[in-house]
Amino acid sequence: MEKREEGKVIIELKNVCKYYRMGDNIVKAVDNVSLMIKRGDFVAIMGPSGSGKSTMMNLIGSLDVPTRGKIFLDQHDISTLTESELAQIRGKKIGFIFQSFNLINNLTAKENVMIPMLFQNNLKDEKNFRATKLMELVGLKDRMHHTPNELSGGQQQRVAIARSLANSPEVILADEPTGNLDTKTGASVMEFLENLNKKGKTIIMVTHDPDLAKDHADIIFWLKDGKVEKITGKKDGWSKLGKERLKELKENK
Amino acid sequence: MINKESMNYSLRNLNKNKGRSLLTIFSILVGITTIFIFISFGYGLYDYTNELTSGSSADKVLIIPKTAGGFGAPDEIILNEDDVDEIKKSTDVLDATGLYYDAVLVKQNSDQKYTFIIGYDPKKDFVMESFNIGADEGRMLKSGDMGKVVLGHNYKIKNKIFDKAYELNDNIELNGIDLKVVGFMEEIGNPQDDSQLYISDSQFEELFTDVNSYGQIIAKVDISELEKVIKSIEHNLRKSRDLEEGKEDFYVQSYDDLIESFTGALNIIVIFIIFIALISVIVSTINTANTMITSVLERYKEIGVLKAMGAKNNNIFEIFLFESSLLGTIAGVFGVIFGWAISYTFGVILDNMGWGFLSPHFSIYLFGGLILFSGITGAISGVFPAIQAAKTNPVDALRTE
Repeated sequence: MEKREEGKVIIELKNVCKYYRMGDNIVKAVDNVSLMIKRGDFVAIMGPSGSGKSTMMNLIGSLDVPTRGKIFLDQHDISTLTESELAQIRGKKIGFIFQSFNLINNLTAKENVMIPMLFQNNLKDEKNFRATKLMELVGLKDRMHHTPNELSGGQQQRVAIARSLANSPEVILADEPTGNLDTKTGASVMEFLENLNKKGKTIIMVTHDPDLAKDHADIIFWLKDGKVEKITGKKDGWSKLGKERLKELKENK
Repeated sequence: MINKESMNYSLRNLNKNKGRSLLTIFSILVGITTIFIFISFGYGLYDYTNELTSGSSADKVLIIPKTAGGFGAPDEIILNEDDVDEIKKSTDVLDATGLYYDAVLVKQNSDQKYTFIIGYDPKKDFVMESFNIGADEGRMLKSGDMGKVVLGHNYKIKNKIFDKAYELNDNIELNGIDLKVVGFMEEIGNPQDDSQLYISDSQFEELFTDVNSYGQIIAKVDISELEKVIKSIEHNLRKSRDLEEGKEDFYVQSYDDLIESFTGALNIIVIFIIFIALISVIVSTINTANTMITSVLERYKEIGVLKAMGAKNNNIFEIFLFESSLLGTIAGVFGVIFGWAISYTFGVILDNMGWGFLSPHFSIYLFGGLILFSGITGAISGVFPAIQAAKTNPVDALRTE
């Protein structure tokens, strides 16, 4: 349980707002949200469509900057960064997993895994080796020279998991990771994410499926109309970690 | 960040849309091939003219009657021995001689053809110097050579002018009179010059009894002040022929003038054709830009994914710029290969047809320069689409299905 002792804040949102202008109206996609995620947490961001969870994911994933408020990613204030600086930091610190996998079809599974490494300068010769290792980790070493079209949905999502780990990021950001998979395959993907969490990776999962959130996350932020409506724990009560975080959040407020 | 992996990525993309990539490459290639062909032949012609100017004809001046053309016209302007004497008297003229020209009927068995024949004084070496040729078999004419003829290069070749090739000491029938072949000229490189005949002036006068004018007069001059020499010849001839300035019935031209006007015309033709080829390159640039824009639109979501994976704007810019430069470079490589193959083949065909002076010149700079030019053209086509790709908002791109 080494990760919990560290307890370092990896993501912090302070009074974050994201507004969009739609014609004459201003849409408050995220409205004054504050939350804190520590290294090793398994967090779910729950909400129906239109609740602002996609916007939350984009902000946490540093794909977008807030209209107001501050976002700290590993102590760096990312709300003021330029596009290139954002790209650099998300490439290093965040691994994305998408609902529709988003693998590049022209490239083999292994080449897909190497993509995040291409944009980092410090990896010269180890790209190949690391990609092979990661394919081995997700149990697809024998399929690494296949293109995504030749793989099943579950296999594609495992390749995407391997890709998200390419630069050993602090945080895995998973957007509906089981949305395009059947129940059984979805369960195996979730098992993978749980295992990664046990090894110390911070997992942030964005989903509209309450059962999925309750089954896996220690702490769930329920979004409604751009605000955090409530915070809950696991299905069968709060985990020890969940309780700790809830306490901290309340103290911070 | 152009490295092995991103090059691989670009190649896969071009390969995936094979048809489109090939069409784009082809559209650039056409322009590059055309430019290659014309530049190589243009260079060949420049080489040829350089050879002429650097040859022994530089110190010769031609005096040509201003006839509208054709022999035996009633208003024919006559240049005769009096004019030669006048020219000899001009400043810095070292020597001068008249040349006879006419058409002659050549007969071999039942076959007969008209061809040009030149009569000149064999004592005057500078005549052949001005033509920049000599005999490659047998000998040139000697002073007082009667009944002797030197043939153009093509008479040595079977089935070229006549079925049977001529050999030294053969007899050849000209206007019904048999002359003995004493020599053959070197190849000049165009069929008309290579089928010409050469006889002595006295033989010419015997063959064409009614001849009253030289076709042209050649003067050997001191070239240190060529302009002055030409002025002096013009002045003397005007005086003896009783003509006003500006109403001369003759031209005085140096070989340099001739070559200069030839080169000038050549420049205009070459520039014009390259200009047309450049238009085709511009069209292909637009076509390449179009291909790249389509590619950017198709890969909109992919660009979003790459950005989520940490690609900076300039990484995306480089990927697309590299792809369009690659299209241009591939087109350039094949363009010069095709251009070379076509020029080379044409060169061989023209040479076989007797147009040996129309031969392409291939320089390493032409190959390298055109490939580079094509690559740069591709890169330029890619700039706008690449900027468009780089500016993609990852949030919007990832939202699309």
